[in-house]
Amino acid sequence: MEKMKVDGYDAVIIGGGLSGLMASIWLTTKGRHVAVVSKGDPMCCLSTGCIDVLGHTDSPLKDIRKLPSSHPYRMIGQDTIKEALAFFKEVMEGIGLHYTGDPSRNAEILTPVGTPKTTCLVPSTMRIMSNLEDEYLHVVSFKGLKDFYPSYIISRNKNANFSIFDMGVYNTMGLAHAFEEKAFLGRFIRRIRELEISDARIAVPAVLGLRSPERIMEEIRLETEKDIFEIPTLPPSIPGLRLFRGLKQALLEKGGQIYWGKEIASVEKTGNKVEAITLAGEGKPTRVHGKTFLLSTGSFISGGLYATRESKAYETVFDLPVYMPDKRHKWFNDDFFKTGHPIERAGILVRESFRPKDNDIDNLFVSGSILAFSEIMKYQCGHGLAISTGVAAAKQMDGFLK
Amino acid sequence: MMFEHCIRCNICTENCPVFRVNKKFPGPKQAGPDAQRFRMDGEESVDSWVELCLQCKRCEVSCPYGVNVSEIILKAQIKYRQEHKKPLTSFIFANTYYMGLINSQFAPLVNRVGQTGAGKTVAHAIGISTKLPLPQYHVLTLSRSRSKVGKGERKVVFFYGCYLNFNRPDLGRTIRDMLARMGIEVVLPNQVCCGLPALGNGDIDTARRFATKNTTILSGYIDRGYSVVYACTSCGLALTRDYPGILDVPNGKKVAENTYNVHEYILKLMEEGYWEPEFGQVNMKIAYHIPCHLKAIGIGYPAARLFSMIPGLEYHVLDDNCCGLAGSYGFKTKNEETATELGSIASASILSLEPDALVTDCGACKMQLGHLTGLKTLDPAEVISASLK
Repeated sequence: MEKMKVDGYDAVIIGGGLSGLMASIWLTTKGRHVAVVSKGDPMCCLSTGCIDVLGHTDSPLKDIRKLPSSHPYRMIGQDTIKEALAFFKEVMEGIGLHYTGDPSRNAEILTPVGTPKTTCLVPSTMRIMSNLEDEYLHVVSFKGLKDFYPSYIISRNKNANFSIFDMGVYNTMGLAHAFEEKAFLGRFIRRIRELEISDARIAVPAVLGLRSPERIMEEIRLETEKDIFEIPTLPPSIPGLRLFRGLKQALLEKGGQIYWGKEIASVEKTGNKVEAITLAGEGKPTRVHGKTFLLSTGSFISGGLYATRESKAYETVFDLPVYMPDKRHKWFNDDFFKTGHPIERAGILVRESFRPKDNDIDNLFVSGSILAFSEIMKYQCGHGLAISTGVAAAKQMDGFLK
Repeated sequence: MMFEHCIRCNICTENCPVFRVNKKFPGPKQAGPDAQRFRMDGEESVDSWVELCLQCKRCEVSCPYGVNVSEIILKAQIKYRQEHKKPLTSFIFANTYYMGLINSQFAPLVNRVGQTGAGKTVAHAIGISTKLPLPQYHVLTLSRSRSKVGKGERKVVFFYGCYLNFNRPDLGRTIRDMLARMGIEVVLPNQVCCGLPALGNGDIDTARRFATKNTTILSGYIDRGYSVVYACTSCGLALTRDYPGILDVPNGKKVAENTYNVHEYILKLMEEGYWEPEFGQVNMKIAYHIPCHLKAIGIGYPAARLFSMIPGLEYHVLDDNCCGLAGSYGFKTKNEETATELGSIASASILSLEPDALVTDCGACKMQLGHLTGLKTLDPAEVISASLK
């Protein structure tokens, strides 16, 4: 029998968002020992769960070449993006959450205000629609549910109608939990059967279960013989939570470790290598040491970057040099609602290998929205960029470890 | 971080177990940072619902901005308790340690009475839920067992806590002996309750008294080169976070800095090459339910890392659900419904894996989920121990 020794992790992923989780899952499929360190839950749990690859176009994959050459997508290229998105779909399928859609063309889904949202990969609980404005719809919402008012949808669609069910539960989290219960689901199905609607599809806010939405929807379809789909809601967003929890669970199932809830207090380096990071706490700091490190801490909103009043920006873990577009007064467009604020370009500049530029550390890699020039709001590419750069960086890390 | 740092993103709400099942609780965002703006010194509390929070810390762990959500709520709970008449249950559960001392003296009698109809009626009358079988007591507690085992260069103090001491001394001895076999000296000095039950029942003075007593004992050992090792993850949270934090007791920081989860300590021994085990085959499929407080300590899941080295062992880590019992929370009749509902969510996840056994570190999780799933319930140390035989 072999004597066991414990060594550092092959890869330490800093930031448990979409990018970090995808990178870590990809690495575990290569047999790597991975740890994720996450200060809090990521922004993707507030999202719709849809994967935007590139907005303002019909064919996202093809139009990546139209992006400025500084955009991180251009570094990866179409094939890797396609591969990364296919890998994402495969991982999600493994945990029972199927995605529809194809990165070669964009899709539209319905939002709670009745407008179309352009996106690319869509959870199978939602519906890709082509004729939003005249599809026969019956919106079913729940009494007391905030931020979801069917009249917005009705006002834009002449063929839509609505009902409000009082089910005794008044928020998305509570409803999602209740739908997992047989009795509640049965009650809902009876209410649907009582509706007098002929061939209209049923649209509901996205609350049809947290753990097993696909099974729940299938049961509703079978029992009512009606087609039903979900419309994403404002946070607490169940589809966002399904996405995050699903990926996290996939990582745990593949033997990945996760260190929750602590900020990074310090970084240990020897020569041009990062050796370990230590997590802050009231007591003894926890040391996580590894052979490679991925920085996927996100941009300003997630705390990966921090800006001061003096027009300076810091990268919060390694203090890497941050590319900043201009002085503070030029960070924003005069018109707030005009996308493409210059500040969106801020971030870490990397080489082809996803290692930071102007820096001599050679086992540190960067992915996700912290990358300079990603401009995820302007190009509407947040989740797609997170997934593809995560996988692309993970490949580089795997290569480095060989 | 202060409540002002909250950007109201609702990630904490997504993680709150109580909010999901009890509509009387407005969720951590509202109970914490939102309501904090209206809580002023010298003004009486009006928010009786703060007591519905079970202090799992999931809100705080999930907050991307580092807001101390559960601590804000805990302080409001303490304030509320100080202003209002203490129900008998709060007094009893704050002092579970003394209950344990008395009950273990008369263990056979107490265990039998607890199961009788009359015993249950009395319990119910004072607000103690009898949905779960009450924990069993033992005459031969851990504190009355051998207090020094093993020899070696490395030395540890085992902080075992009330559950192992009074209710599962057999498991305590398994952990003690497992550590000794790794070539370390294990001592089990006199110690009192970690103080978390008192804190959870709004009695910060009692909690501080317990903590001070423990830090005095433990700090003496630390000075002589011992590390502190805990197995109960709630005791662990108290030692490493509340002692230097909200309780702020003398030597609290020193104790926190020298305290390890038992599996974290084993990994440390392995990492430093002090102990090189040969793990034997354990042919079993287990569901490893992560206690909320282990998640909150922020050391990862060290036992899972050890499981990955055991040949034949199929393990699944589950860290999304609170068992609902939360120490004494679910033992109060007023929380019975919430606790049972949460327990059923957690047990559904576990049962869907069809495991041979349920494994979890925390005593409350063991009682609640062992009962609800009907599965054989083990401590991670029992799995590791089995692999070392």
